[in-house]
Amino acid sequence: MAKNFTDKSRRNDRLAEIMIRIGGVFVIVSVVWILVMISRVALPLFYPPSAKIAATVKVPTTISSGTVLAIGSEENQHGAFILDGTGTFHFLKAADGSVSASIKTPGIPAGAVRVASAEYIGKSSYNLLWDNGAISSVTVALASAKEKDGTVTLSHDVTLKDDLAFAASSGIVHSFARPIEGKGAVRIDRLVGDRIRVTHQLAEKDLLGNEQRSTSSAELTEPLPGHLSALTVDSKGHYLYAGTDNGWLLRWDISEPGKINLLESTAASEKRTAITSLALVLGDVSVAVGDASGSLTTWFPTTVAGSGEDKRLTRIHTLRSNVGKTGFIIPSPRDKTLYSGDTGTINVDHMTSERNLLTIKPPAPITHAALSPKGNTLSVLDRSGTLTSWKMDIPHPEISFGTLFGKVWYEGYDKPEYAWQSSAANDDFEPKMSLVPLVFGTIKATLLAMLFAVPLALLAALYTSQFMSLKLKGRVKPVVEIMAAIPSVVIGFLAGLWLAPLIDKSILTVFLSIVIVPLMLLLTIFFWKRIKTASPLQRATRGHEFAAMIPVVILGIYLAFLLSGVAEVNLFAGDFKQWLFSTLGVRYDQRNGVIIGIALGFAVIPIIFTIAEDAISNVPRNLTAASLALGASRWQTAWRVVLPSALPGVFSAIMIGFGRAIGETMIVLMATGNTPIMSWSLFNGLRSLSANIAVEIPEAPLNSSLYRVLFLSAVLLFIFTFLINTGAEALRQRFRKKYGRY
Amino acid sequence: MKLFWKTGEPYVLATGAALAIILVMSLTLVGTVMTNGLGYFWPRALVKFELKDGSAVLGQITQEEKNPISGERRLQLKVGNRDVFGQDFRWIDEKGIAARTTPADAVLLERREHGNYFGMLKDVTAEGMALTAATPYEKLIQARTLVAGKMADTGKIKKQMSDLNHTAESLRLKIQKLDYSGKEKNAASISELSAVREKKMAEFTRLNEQATATLAEIGRITVQMTDAAGGSKDISLTEIVALQKPNSMSIFAKGAAYLERVRELLLDDPRESNTEGGLFPAIFGTVMMVLLMSIFSLPFGVVAAIYLREYAKDGLMTRMVRIAVNNLAGVPSIVYGVFGLGFFVYGVGGSIDSLFFPERLPTPTFGTGGILWSSLTLALLTVPVIIVATEESLASIPKGIREGSLALGATKFQTLTKILLPMATPGIMTGLILSMARAAGEVAPLMIVGVVKLAPTLPFDTNFPFFHMDRKFMHLGFHIYDVGFQSPNVEAAKPMVFVTTMLLLAIVVVASSTAIYLRNRMRSKYTTSTF
Repeated sequence: MAKNFTDKSRRNDRLAEIMIRIGGVFVIVSVVWILVMISRVALPLFYPPSAKIAATVKVPTTISSGTVLAIGSEENQHGAFILDGTGTFHFLKAADGSVSASIKTPGIPAGAVRVASAEYIGKSSYNLLWDNGAISSVTVALASAKEKDGTVTLSHDVTLKDDLAFAASSGIVHSFARPIEGKGAVRIDRLVGDRIRVTHQLAEKDLLGNEQRSTSSAELTEPLPGHLSALTVDSKGHYLYAGTDNGWLLRWDISEPGKINLLESTAASEKRTAITSLALVLGDVSVAVGDASGSLTTWFPTTVAGSGEDKRLTRIHTLRSNVGKTGFIIPSPRDKTLYSGDTGTINVDHMTSERNLLTIKPPAPITHAALSPKGNTLSVLDRSGTLTSWKMDIPHPEISFGTLFGKVWYEGYDKPEYAWQSSAANDDFEPKMSLVPLVFGTIKATLLAMLFAVPLALLAALYTSQFMSLKLKGRVKPVVEIMAAIPSVVIGFLAGLWLAPLIDKSILTVFLSIVIVPLMLLLTIFFWKRIKTASPLQRATRGHEFAAMIPVVILGIYLAFLLSGVAEVNLFAGDFKQWLFSTLGVRYDQRNGVIIGIALGFAVIPIIFTIAEDAISNVPRNLTAASLALGASRWQTAWRVVLPSALPGVFSAIMIGFGRAIGETMIVLMATGNTPIMSWSLFNGLRSLSANIAVEIPEAPLNSSLYRVLFLSAVLLFIFTFLINTGAEALRQRFRKKYGRY
Repeated sequence: MKLFWKTGEPYVLATGAALAIILVMSLTLVGTVMTNGLGYFWPRALVKFELKDGSAVLGQITQEEKNPISGERRLQLKVGNRDVFGQDFRWIDEKGIAARTTPADAVLLERREHGNYFGMLKDVTAEGMALTAATPYEKLIQARTLVAGKMADTGKIKKQMSDLNHTAESLRLKIQKLDYSGKEKNAASISELSAVREKKMAEFTRLNEQATATLAEIGRITVQMTDAAGGSKDISLTEIVALQKPNSMSIFAKGAAYLERVRELLLDDPRESNTEGGLFPAIFGTVMMVLLMSIFSLPFGVVAAIYLREYAKDGLMTRMVRIAVNNLAGVPSIVYGVFGLGFFVYGVGGSIDSLFFPERLPTPTFGTGGILWSSLTLALLTVPVIIVATEESLASIPKGIREGSLALGATKFQTLTKILLPMATPGIMTGLILSMARAAGEVAPLMIVGVVKLAPTLPFDTNFPFFHMDRKFMHLGFHIYDVGFQSPNVEAAKPMVFVTTMLLLAIVVVASSTAIYLRNRMRSKYTTSTF
């Protein structure tokens, strides 16, 4: 029995030991796991992009020997198509290279025989310029479906687009055509001899529902600085861009029917290299320019100093140069990625981040290149008659170290800036994801809070541990500790909806308080001596001085409030904020730096106070006793003996408070306007990293760039606070070692 | 005097002033929340102002303000009648007031929509109902009791409807599951279940019609009101939640009305996108989330602390672990939220969905924020609090006790369970309460992993399996943020936010006071004096 019992006990003991060890290790592992997990989500931002050949099709010679005008491919690389000069689309199966169908373009304009050229206008649609100068537009549908047994079936169709059709015309070299939504269409023809003609074909319905058809055309009259070498039009048919063989870049406004309005001509390069290709980047704001030396640059109109309201094309981004000339530029239909190159290589660059994402080397010199409608497949036809499709895997092209932490010249901005604006109403928007304004906001909020909290908390801690009567100390300390438990949402709410309107009414009170409260204090100190020596209060007041200070502080703030009213009326014409704006040009936000300093400071005071107080109290009493016995006053003892000994602990208190302020979310979210601006002004709001996560992550799609960038900012916060806290902890442990028990 | 400066007494006063400022600030915070929160439910007088321009205003005075330049005063009135006037508040200049009265028969109607209505009662129209009372006000009271009876009937119907709805929904999910696992194979049972579901749905429609008819019938009972501006309005009795004649109420009647409002606050559902009515779902959600969290965090925290203090050898590893744990306490809460979203919601939740509920995809079941993920996230956040508290209390037990137990032949485990843990319980409790207080007040991570502004159902109900871990929930702290900062009419919502704030503050302060009291008592019990 007894042996059984002890055996059982031992067994239990061993079992428990194993269990507890496992449990302990589990907790430790989960600590590391947190960092690993959030980093794992953020990390793919920096994965290198890749492209792999998904299909190689030997095009039947019957097709490739003819005139190939355009190629295209399907999203899953199961199929491709080729448009030839007869206006026939040949659909090819990727698996065996067989032609699964050949479909003749429907709705061939009267009198047309062959297709002279084809222009891809996005969304699987092509404008076909026929040999007689007529234009028609078709949409190609090519989709694949994978059956359960692995066989792939292709479905294909070619339909006529009815919003774009132009009658025959002569002398045309090259044409562009754009539908104008709900109104008609416009065609831009490059004519023989460097002439350009713009024809608007409009159909407007009047109030009675009758359709009014009108055609107006205009021809370019001004002489060009050189011979035309490249031409492009934006998707709405509003602006026409041209490049010349002596390096001039021209821009016309063609939005008004019957008019071609030259907006500007700009030299694209110092050497006046011939411009060889032009293309509009998604969103129609930036134009990509490629020239004969192989360079690739993007331009958009900005306000240039000295030119008044006029905006002029400015070179914004310079991307990776191509070998030889930049023969073609294909903009991605999904983002601001550009595919450029000539016969030899194809460079894939992202405009915003200026990253060279990939360089693709086709096996043979290429004749045609195209992107699939979703931009994930690049297909290339080379001289050997082989059609190659690459599956592009470029998850986060717009993210680079430069876009996250550097200045970037975004579309529509007049200079490179740090900016955060993650989303907008339209899809072709350029996301601005610079973490700098957020880091700035975090630092500003933290510094303001520390400025407010550290002096108050440390002085109060010194008083509580050294001068306060023990009985009172037992009451005051728990009060401050309970303060630490006040939810931050409560502080944030009061700061945002109670304090901010209050301070908004009389911001001067805050500044006057900073002067008047210490003045009142000096005054009290002056009288203190009298009170103390004149009455038997001396014993009673010792250890309770702070109670006498409470009315002084309240009185001081009240006085400041009264004075601020007087000062505002007499010095600032009754409205300080108006004065601030008109005289100093400083905008006043209701939720500003002052509010955040007070609110966030209030939140970290208890933390700094408690840790600092512990540290000061833990300095051995024998040091104090020795100092006092040698005749030092209680202040001299506290300041010269106790505080220096407790300094590491006090320092760690400040660091822990700092760490807390950095990561605080709700207060910053509620007490600032959450505007990601970079201004040190006390009267402006800010946006911190933590508040930014709280604001944006509910809207961020899973695994999008925004989602990962937010995780990255969480990683930054984690590492930052981890370093600070570890430093503080190390200091504290050293301090404990020095002074024994704690 | 020189000596006075030299001994540094003035500096002592300065440090005292710092403490004074901190205390004044805390008192201001608590005072502001208390005055705004406690005063909100007290029935305030409806004051009628005849203005010099001939118009009249009826409302409750909310603020007074003096123009610093002209010295003129103006009053802010809550004029109510949002549907008539377009706004709840109005400023009037004191110099424009001709007369100020408090009409005894002014009525305050608390409505389901559009906020309060202030005005005079003209008459009550009740088709097919004999109202015997003489005055319109008594008629209204009588009509309300009748309506309340009928409303209780529709309430029963509503309950039946919600049960039916739940059954139909679970049938739908069952059908979906069968459909997913093989349409042909399960054709028979699918059609069978569909038939049952159709029947339930038909029953639901019938009940719904019945309820709508009753409501329409009651809706025809209206009360005619006139406002101060002279406009009149018919208000259906179903719209009225409560009514008061604040100007002719005795102090006891006001007290009773106050208590009634407190009861409503604690036990009723919110109205008007949370700006009025009760807080019950938010209180329930907060409590349930905190309790769930404790279930996860307490065992792990205690086990980890025991490991660190009693089992792990004191070395580099233990030191590093201790630093890591202390660090975890300092990691920003939003980072835990982000982790919870990435790991629990999308990671674990997503896997559960694809393993157990593939038929419901892409509609997520566990792959979206919910009370389970929120509790787990907060458990992670508060585990360091428990670890530190437990470790501290284990450390404060004198070594002699431990050695005494071992010397008597007890194993380590026996010493732990029989001697150390009972002695450390107050300390562990302290940690638990502190962690609960922290969890109750934490909002930022919850915003990411499962809190919503308005949850249609509680995470606990009478339908199987009673605890619905996948459901989203409401939370007091988020309620403050949402109503105070996201609602369209912040000014009108402010009093409600103060009430919520007061409630949350009270919970947290009481909890942490208890914890601190417990801890201090334990400290004095075991610590031997050092000097």
